[in-house]
Amino acid sequence: MSKIGPEDVAYVARLARLTFSDEEAKAMARNLEQILDHVESLDALDTDGVEPTAHGFELATPMRPDTPAEPFDPALAVSNAPAAQGTAFLVPKVLEEE
Amino acid sequence: MSVLPDDYEMVIGLEVHTHLKTDSKLFSPAPVRYGEDPNHSVHPIDLALPDVLPVLNERVVELAIRLGLAIHATVNEQSIFARKNYFYPDLPKGYQISQFEEPVVSEGWLDIEVEPEAADGGGKKKKGAAPELLRKRIGITRAHIEEDAGKSIHDVAIAGSEDSCIDLNRAGVPLLEIVSEPDLRSPQEASAYLRALRSILRYIGVSDADMEKGQFRCDANVSIREKGAEFGTRTEIKNLNSFTHVEDAIEAEAIRQLELIEDGGEVVQATMGYDPERRRTHVQRLKENADDYRYFPDPDLIPLRIAQERIESVRAALPELPEEKRSRFESEYALSSYDAGVLTASRNLADFFEETAKRCGAPKAAANWITRDVLRELKERECELEALALTPAMLGALIALVEAGRLTQKSAAQLFPDLVADGGDPEAMMLERGLEAVSDAGAIEGFVDDVIAANPEVAQQVRDGDDKPLNFLMGQVMKASQGKAEPGQVRKALAEKIRG
Amino acid sequence: MGQAEDLLAKGLAEQRAALDGGEVSPGALVDASLARIAAKANLSAVVSARADAARAEAEAAAERIASGEARSALDGIPILLKDNIVQAGEPATCASRILENFVSPYDATATERLREAGAIVVGRTNMDEFAMGSSTENTIHGEAHNPWDPSRACGGSSGGSAAAVAAGLVPVSLGSDTGGSIRQPAGFCGVVGLKPTYGRVSRWGLVAFASSLDQIGPFGRSVADCAATLEVIAGHDPRDSTSVPEDVPRWTDALDGEVGGLTIGLPEEYFVEEGVDVGVLARVREAIAAFEEAGAKTVPVSLPHTEHAIATYYVIATAEASSNLARFDGVRYGRRAERPEDLQDLYLRSRSEGFGDEVKRRILLGTYVLSAGYYDAYYGKAQRVRTLIRRDFERAFERCDLILTPTMPETAFRLGEKSDDPLSMYLSDVYTTSVNLAGLPGLSMPCGLSDGMPVGLQLIGKSLDEATILRAGDAFERLIDHHALRPPEAS
Repeated sequence: MSKIGPEDVAYVARLARLTFSDEEAKAMARNLEQILDHVESLDALDTDGVEPTAHGFELATPMRPDTPAEPFDPALAVSNAPAAQGTAFLVPKVLEEE
Repeated sequence: MSVLPDDYEMVIGLEVHTHLKTDSKLFSPAPVRYGEDPNHSVHPIDLALPDVLPVLNERVVELAIRLGLAIHATVNEQSIFARKNYFYPDLPKGYQISQFEEPVVSEGWLDIEVEPEAADGGGKKKKGAAPELLRKRIGITRAHIEEDAGKSIHDVAIAGSEDSCIDLNRAGVPLLEIVSEPDLRSPQEASAYLRALRSILRYIGVSDADMEKGQFRCDANVSIREKGAEFGTRTEIKNLNSFTHVEDAIEAEAIRQLELIEDGGEVVQATMGYDPERRRTHVQRLKENADDYRYFPDPDLIPLRIAQERIESVRAALPELPEEKRSRFESEYALSSYDAGVLTASRNLADFFEETAKRCGAPKAAANWITRDVLRELKERECELEALALTPAMLGALIALVEAGRLTQKSAAQLFPDLVADGGDPEAMMLERGLEAVSDAGAIEGFVDDVIAANPEVAQQVRDGDDKPLNFLMGQVMKASQGKAEPGQVRKALAEKIRG
Repeated sequence: MGQAEDLLAKGLAEQRAALDGGEVSPGALVDASLARIAAKANLSAVVSARADAARAEAEAAAERIASGEARSALDGIPILLKDNIVQAGEPATCASRILENFVSPYDATATERLREAGAIVVGRTNMDEFAMGSSTENTIHGEAHNPWDPSRACGGSSGGSAAAVAAGLVPVSLGSDTGGSIRQPAGFCGVVGLKPTYGRVSRWGLVAFASSLDQIGPFGRSVADCAATLEVIAGHDPRDSTSVPEDVPRWTDALDGEVGGLTIGLPEEYFVEEGVDVGVLARVREAIAAFEEAGAKTVPVSLPHTEHAIATYYVIATAEASSNLARFDGVRYGRRAERPEDLQDLYLRSRSEGFGDEVKRRILLGTYVLSAGYYDAYYGKAQRVRTLIRRDFERAFERCDLILTPTMPETAFRLGEKSDDPLSMYLSDVYTTSVNLAGLPGLSMPCGLSDGMPVGLQLIGKSLDEATILRAGDAFERLIDHHALRPPEAS
């Protein structure tokens, strides 16, 4: 049985940059626990020596030639930005330690 | 002398990030350009628009293979691009595409040379000419491909005091991260390793590795221990961007760790910053709550597979490496190991030497001119070889004139600074300035007769068997000829005239 | 107008003939579609219409058609895009607050190919936020309704695209399918939906949910219409590293109505009484009987790891999603929280205010399964089980040409019925998710009604063998015209 508590929710929420009220965190913990219990059914399978599958299709590595394209229009680059200064995006001050 | 007590030593490993020499970015076709206005060199892929996808730049793979071969490493037939997940405003996707468990290059090495004291942790310079150098092999754990981040610029003048600007021109520029084994034992070894690595990167055209442009950046993992003991706890000094900073920061950090231990304290794992003005390191962030980067294979990219034939074709096209060139210079041109080492420190210098040697047919003389005079000029002018007006053709012609006896060493030294500054045809300059050596036997005899006549006592001393004053008489003849008399002939004529 | 509206309810071939014969203009068809979209606004199938630009494009199409230069089966035909497939100058909300003001600067590859073929995009369809859901209830645009019964869900996440085709707003539309998001709503709404082989259609311009599973595909009212649309949007795209470098066959030419000689595999794990609606099983068994009668052979096959597909799917899909959705940070585009105190506050509030509960739940789950110490137990394990699931299919396909299953174990559920029980919602995707895990093509098509609601029949093909399932599906339509059934209001 996976045991997911509010502190686990708080830890992953922090990693994912999400916040929850205590109530929400409890509800999320219950949902996650339920889903992870189901996921634990996988433990019953012996997968020793089984290669992982990363894609639905096996391909050779596609590559492109090192040919530069015209850069994107800087005005379009910031056209959807919530805050911009000229052609730069603007965010609250970035501290070194963050 | 090391800054540490004799029974202590430093243990240093370096992580180098070097920009690869490509025209476009790692996963986007945006051009790689420096010094553009914010977001003027981006593609929607670099902006991480909601629906974009990465496609690998072929050239990056070629360059990674070159590096792998140059550092005697394994170029892995399969490597995997993984996502390193974290939030930062200059990281537009919220993850960096890097390589984690399966890098493109693993287990290589390169040799460095250090002065014997430096190998012990000291840095005192030995007086005199060519120093004795010790060769040491430094292991390279791995090299992997990854993308650079953008820049957050905190400039009050632009963004005001409360905001930072985000510029993604650098986001997606291809990097190789090259990780050494903890084989380095002194700041001098560390910088010797960096110089050797940078030289290789430039030789094989993988990177311009210009530290000022941020193309070659270094993080240093530093710990200290009593000799023979287990490794101590290490700290990581981030973002060192000059050789001096690397040396100074490592030294400062070793001292900081020593003081901690001597005070009965303990080194804790941390990320350190370095303040070059105060020459001190400081804790930026403790690593006890280790970052949880949630690496996993990037599902937008297929594992990179490199066929053996591809590796072999890159190997066949690989230019001569510094160490190979050096031993060839020793055997082909009969140069000393030291001179060969100096001349192969950069590919430009080595090419300059070879071209000069070819032109004048006197490799040893060419080596002397370059290691002594050309390098002195570069140092004084603080510039690169390409900035001089002097070309191998000019220097070769100059040396050829000396070798042919048409120009004395002294006259050549007179022409050299003008060739460096403005260039020119050495022969024409020689003729124009009337510097051609006097090798006409009659003319030389004339000078010799005059000098003997003017210095009868000195001539007598020589006649009596004392060779010392001969040099004085030589000098007088040279002076009389305004440095143009061919010294060999002068010596011969003097001996004949005095001793019969 | 009347003629155009009648035509709108018909198939692509009829519309093509009427356009080429000059009986109706692309403009009239586009107007009829826009009118129908407005009339059916209560379905919440369409979230934004594109009137002026569409009419201008219809003019250009009219000129081409008049000079006999129609570019494709779709030239001059109105079409709808799921709101996660971008078009230049148009919004792409993905039904999320976080993208409510986003405007795409360019076309998706699929959009570009449709437009080059002359198709006219008239608007964008409702969906579950970031394609996470099976009901089109998780959306900022208001829950979508099933045209057969507005109190029921149209399925999801491509619910709007399915409902729009079922309600006759357009003949064909595009959706995306990560774990069944085309096939399940197609089944619930009684239309045809095709998820191509992974890599068949470029993902460039599709806002990612789970990159290794996502695939764009068409909805239509017949198999032939889906085949014709797929011919336009499929094909290698150098902008997508996972795009398959294979030529696009002329699938429409292969639709000969024949099933003789075909061997159809029936996975025993899918035909269990427990948990499957009686009516659904009955309809699917009737379909099997019809195929057999027409000369197809059926064989039992086994897909022993089926019961693990949902768990595997949710680990892989949420892990990838947690990373794919990290770019929505309120910095370069999308919603930014008002007056953030500092950078961390900007991240936390922009994301917490911008994402809905289901998206947050999946981000948390995905973050958890990738977090330190859990990778091997969850993500690594799931990737290995994914291999076992893929091998199940490879083994089964040694004995048959295609596999036949119900699309869903039930018909459309009532709106709100499952919104408080995420796991039960996930578990109902049991027949569809393993197809994505194995990267195979899957088709859902109408298979009659159960209690007045459509039943979906799923045909699964070998990798890159869309041809066989399209041919078999088209033949089935000729045997029983379930696909001609229309929801009460739309007929």
